[in-house]
Amino acid sequence: MTTSAPEPLLALSNVNTFYGQAQVHFDLSITVARGHIVCLLGGNASGKSTTMKIILGLVKPRSGDVTFDGASLIGLTTPQIVRRGIASVPEARRLFADMSVRENILMGAFVRNDREAIAQDLDRMLTLFPKLGQRLSQRAGSLSGGEQQMVAMARALMSRPRMIVMDEPTMGLSPLYVDRVLELIRTINQEGVSVFMVEQNASLALEIAHEAYVLQTGKIVLSGPARALKDDPRIRDAYLGGSEAA
Amino acid sequence: MSSWLDYTINGLIVGNVYALVAVGLALIFGVSRLINFAQGSIYLVGAYIGWVAVVQLHTPLPLTIIVVAVAAALVGLIIERFGLRPLQNSVRIAPLLATIGISFVLDQLVMLTFSPNPRALPSQLPDVRFQVGGGTIGPLDLLIAGVGLTSALLLFVFLRYSKLGWAVRAASQDRDAAMQMGVDVNRVNQAVFGIAAALGGVSGMLVGMYYNQIDTAMSLQATLKGVVAEVVGGAGNVPGAVIGSLLLGLVESYGVAVFGTSYRNLFAFLLLVVVLVLRPNGLFASARQAPPEPLTGTFIAPSRPVRIPRWALLAAAAIFAVLPFFPVSFYVLQTLINAWLLGMLALSLTLVAGTIGQVSLGHAALLAIGAYTSALLSMTLSVPVGLSIIGGGLMCAALGTALISPSFRLRGHYVSIATLAIGEIVSLVILNWESVTRGPIGISGIPPLSLFGYDLISPTSIYWFSFAVMVVLALLQGRLLTSHLGRSFRAIRDDDIAARAYGLSLNRYKSLAFIFGGFAAGVSGGIAAHLYSYINHETFNTQQSILALTVVILGGLGNVVGAILGSVALVGLPEVFRIAAEYRILIYGIVLLLLVRFRPQGLLGTM
Ligand SMILES: Nc1ncnc2c1ncn2[C@@H]1O[C@H](COP(=O)(O)OP(=O)(O)OP(=O)(O)O)[C@@H](O)[C@H]1O
Ligand SMILES: [Mg+2]
Repeated sequence: MTTSAPEPLLALSNVNTFYGQAQVHFDLSITVARGHIVCLLGGNASGKSTTMKIILGLVKPRSGDVTFDGASLIGLTTPQIVRRGIASVPEARRLFADMSVRENILMGAFVRNDREAIAQDLDRMLTLFPKLGQRLSQRAGSLSGGEQQMVAMARALMSRPRMIVMDEPTMGLSPLYVDRVLELIRTINQEGVSVFMVEQNASLALEIAHEAYVLQTGKIVLSGPARALKDDPRIRDAYLGGSEAA
Repeated sequence: MSSWLDYTINGLIVGNVYALVAVGLALIFGVSRLINFAQGSIYLVGAYIGWVAVVQLHTPLPLTIIVVAVAAALVGLIIERFGLRPLQNSVRIAPLLATIGISFVLDQLVMLTFSPNPRALPSQLPDVRFQVGGGTIGPLDLLIAGVGLTSALLLFVFLRYSKLGWAVRAASQDRDAAMQMGVDVNRVNQAVFGIAAALGGVSGMLVGMYYNQIDTAMSLQATLKGVVAEVVGGAGNVPGAVIGSLLLGLVESYGVAVFGTSYRNLFAFLLLVVVLVLRPNGLFASARQAPPEPLTGTFIAPSRPVRIPRWALLAAAAIFAVLPFFPVSFYVLQTLINAWLLGMLALSLTLVAGTIGQVSLGHAALLAIGAYTSALLSMTLSVPVGLSIIGGGLMCAALGTALISPSFRLRGHYVSIATLAIGEIVSLVILNWESVTRGPIGISGIPPLSLFGYDLISPTSIYWFSFAVMVVLALLQGRLLTSHLGRSFRAIRDDDIAARAYGLSLNRYKSLAFIFGGFAAGVSGGIAAHLYSYINHETFNTQQSILALTVVILGGLGNVVGAILGSVALVGLPEVFRIAAEYRILIYGIVLLLLVRFRPQGLLGTM
């Protein structure tokens, strides 16, 4: 190799995933370069959330490999993967509803043991998400959807991850909050955290992403730099095709 | 005469004891969505470890408590590691069945080690009582209250301030999300089982001291009471479990004050059924619903049933039919008669648990209903015995279905709890309704089996009679399964939401299944009554319910031929190998555990 592309931070190669008999991924290959925001687009039931679960080790692929920072994640448990530096914002937030906002955020630092630094990071989250300051002792389940999204992001950042994977971070949010969330993702990314996000809303996601992949019933049908895809009519076709097939 | 204050104190003390059991159940349910039916066995083990410590090692009280807590925690850790962790990726019913198997094994091991005879467990505390208001209170009451409060406080501190405690709380609210924060769920399970077992063991020891008596029957009672308290408080809700326990203790204590001791358990189980029906998420459930049980396909191991050619079935039936013509011993016939009776019960259970997916743990109650009905019909109304047995079947179909119907809206584990409770209620009603059932004395002098005026007394005739009845029931059930109705049953089992969406009325179909199954079980009970000539409220007990469940799982859930094969195997093999009676239950427990682990679809596959 002469031009040697830098080794990607995360790479899925030829992943095939099944739920029982049903195949969800067909030879899926995705790479996330260091420092980039990569977006996975696709219609309902195309297998986006399953891709997240594969990365996090919550679902095991039948074949194929997942590497993070050059080392395979296959065979590792979810907690082990998290300790390698991958944090997540799951679909529908999945906060610990009966724990306080503060406890939720601190749960994000579960893999760390440096008490003082954790306390500093908590303060940092409150500057990043100022609204959460007044809500720290409130039950997380009682927050609004937008506030919950902030908590979920703060929680993910607390592990000081090298990469965050997010499943539809803008789902169900008002336009104001959507902008806020996208802005935050960009900020997080500028601080050096790579981002892999799953989205249905292509136009929004392509605003902030560096690269994007389009998934249709388990196959990548389109991929490339976000700038190039933004105006690509095939994006729309892919969605329509996806919903027809579903 | 004791005062109301005494009953209140007694209720709170007993409630404290229940709380120690129920809190453990709640912790485990929170993290694993599992009702740990082995919790009572750990309580039993705790009581006997306490006995060894006090009576043989003469340990002082504080040391006794520590020894019991540590030893019981070890048992809990072993159960988690070797009994449940291997089942993590199995069908949802697997861990539940495993805890049932484990509880049988533990109970039997205790029984074999210490004999079933009750033992005294002295409390080592001075036997004085202080006047408090209008009641009295003794040092043991204070000890129990103290242990209860201390445990609650320690648990609170653990959950609120330790890292592992946070992990427990997070995992019980959202297991996957907790894993994504780096929580190792296996460690959480370990912690929870260890704590639950320590509390349960200490509870058993305290109860032994409170009544100055321990025996192996404590186990099931403790599980039942703990489950009642936990469900009343809201499954998985730790503070709820404490309040549910105190409530249960008070309800029982006042119930005893008004009606007498034999009503104690009746109140407990009625409370459970009322709560399950009216507020299945417990008295204190927040508006947020508890996470629903899994709906589809995963509850029962899917598999392709083994096809047995018709000629093979016919040949087998023919061999068993002509068996009495050969010089077989009375003993063999006796064994097979037992197998046929168990086979009828298994047919019933495999329909209810396998085909329509309602895993009943109280099926022996149906036997009791059939047996009492047939016995009383033939004795008090002089109904001919053949007819009275059919009467028993019909009564069982009607009454059994009516009793179980409140639980139709429940799913998964809750069905198992409800049926267990209903089974206990039936046996308690039999115990207390003396004017009809003769209460604890039981019914003796039940006339022998007879058909068209001929008494069936010879083993051969009884053999043929029971075999024929079972075969007829099996054929009917086989027809049922291939009919449209049978397909609807399976549709409901596999996905009740979808089935409802297709317009199937769940209640109607569940009723039909219980009516059919109730009839088969009632007939089995009826025959048994005339065969035994004496029955009482303990003739048909939970052990038989669990034996029937093991049979059904051994044969393959829903599988008619499997139910019969399973009965022959579980009744026959111990005889073939001449296994002493006291080891049999142990073996049934081990069989259940091995099946769940290695062949959840049973010998012939689920249908
Ligand atoms: N645990 C599971 N068991 C069986 N099938 C599943 C499971 N989880 C997902 N599936 C199926 O896999 C397919 C892909 O699901 P996935 O959740 O990955 O889709 P998605 O692209 O995230 O959809 P959405 O946009 O609706 O969130 C769907 O058909 C879904 O029904
Ligand atoms: Mg999704």
